[in-house]
Amino acid sequence: MSYKPLGPDESVLISWLYGELDEVEKAKVEKYFQENPDELRKMQHLGATKDIMSNIQDKEVIAPPLFMDDDVKVVPMWKTGSFRTIATIAASFLLIIVAARLLNTEVNYSNGELRISFGKKAIEPNAGGLTAMDVQLMIDESTKKSQEALDVRLAESRNELDVVIRQTLAGNTNQINELVRNASTASQTEVRNFVSTLQRENLAQMRDYMQLSASDQRKYTDNLIVEFSKFLQEQRTQDLNMYQTRFSRIEQNTDELKNETEQILASIISNSPQVQQSSY
Amino acid sequence: MMHSDALIARAREGDKNAQGKLVQLWYKRIYNFSYKFFFDHDMAMEVSQKTFISMHKNIAHLNELSRFRSWMYTIAVNYCREELRKNKSRRALSLSDLHSGEREESFRWEESGARHENPERQLRQSELSDILQKCLMELSEEQREVVIMKEYEGLKFREIAEALNISENTVKSRMYYGLDGLKKILERNSITKETIGYEL
Repeated sequence: MSYKPLGPDESVLISWLYGELDEVEKAKVEKYFQENPDELRKMQHLGATKDIMSNIQDKEVIAPPLFMDDDVKVVPMWKTGSFRTIATIAASFLLIIVAARLLNTEVNYSNGELRISFGKKAIEPNAGGLTAMDVQLMIDESTKKSQEALDVRLAESRNELDVVIRQTLAGNTNQINELVRNASTASQTEVRNFVSTLQRENLAQMRDYMQLSASDQRKYTDNLIVEFSKFLQEQRTQDLNMYQTRFSRIEQNTDELKNETEQILASIISNSPQVQQSSY
Repeated sequence: MMHSDALIARAREGDKNAQGKLVQLWYKRIYNFSYKFFFDHDMAMEVSQKTFISMHKNIAHLNELSRFRSWMYTIAVNYCREELRKNKSRRALSLSDLHSGEREESFRWEESGARHENPERQLRQSELSDILQKCLMELSEEQREVVIMKEYEGLKFREIAEALNISENTVKSRMYYGLDGLKKILERNSITKETIGYEL
């Protein structure tokens, strides 16, 4: 038991109050109280407080029926939540792996680039190993090959064209020769009949053309005359209006000039010396 | 003693009847401890329920049968603290706002043996109990739980120290200052042995 410099501490005092000190300690505390009656009074007050507080009654309560399910259920491992979670994750992974296998999925990450690819891997040209000179040589070679192929194709085309022209010319020559031969064999009468037939046909065509042309020209001329007369009439009306406007403007100007003249005369008369003298 | 080691041992082994018997034996004590801690019937019921559910779940892990009593109060006081924390934001407990428990008084009175006593005296006793309970509520949480355990539940200082997981000296110190605080509260409310004797 610990004691303060001036007496026992709170734990000793409270043990004394509840009668939980052994005889030796109890004697020490009581001796302390004899020397310090104020402390004893204080403890008696605490005892009285304890007595007063003991008047708090217990509340009556009936224990409710508690239904506790204490049967330890033996849950198979595969029915436990954790197993199901793990199985679900594993199944998901398996599904992903199978799908990836079937689709030839490949996931690469390099130089900050994530690449997901499906199907067979495409062979990429090794562009990294070529220099500018190589590329130029490749272009030159390709151009040369193209030029050679073009020349060959051009030569072939030219030969084919020559053959075709030659064949065509030969064919035309034969036809002309045939025609000339036919013409030379035709009789004088046949030629005359042919020419007279041509003349008759030309004459009929010319006649029809002239007739059609004459009727159209007549209609056109009539329309032109009507339009021209309308134009003249309109023009005349406009001219008359213009003349009338001009006359009225001249008349108006004349009136204004007249008024101004009268005003000037009036001012001259009013400012003459006689009028001034008479005013004095 | 309200229980025997044999009963606790059976309960620990999963005997439902023994566990039920423990509930019947201990329910009133745990309820009253919680009620005095909160001065609120609903919260006391809540804590009691939780305490016995916890007892049912964890009694198998109780190593020393002799520590059953302090173990039960450990569970109860932990739930009391938890409940207090949860309700602090919802309710501002003050002396004037405290629930007097009158709602539950009538049926409890019917069930109690006190109904055979003088009803007028019983009413005055009940009122005095509520007044003193309000005084108790003015103590700090730490002092209140020690005072209740010692004064009303009759635990030894050692058992309280075990239940609260603090030293015995701390328990005694809290008890001392708790009683000292109550003395001042009673003086402030002019409650003395004489006035109580006059009232009763």
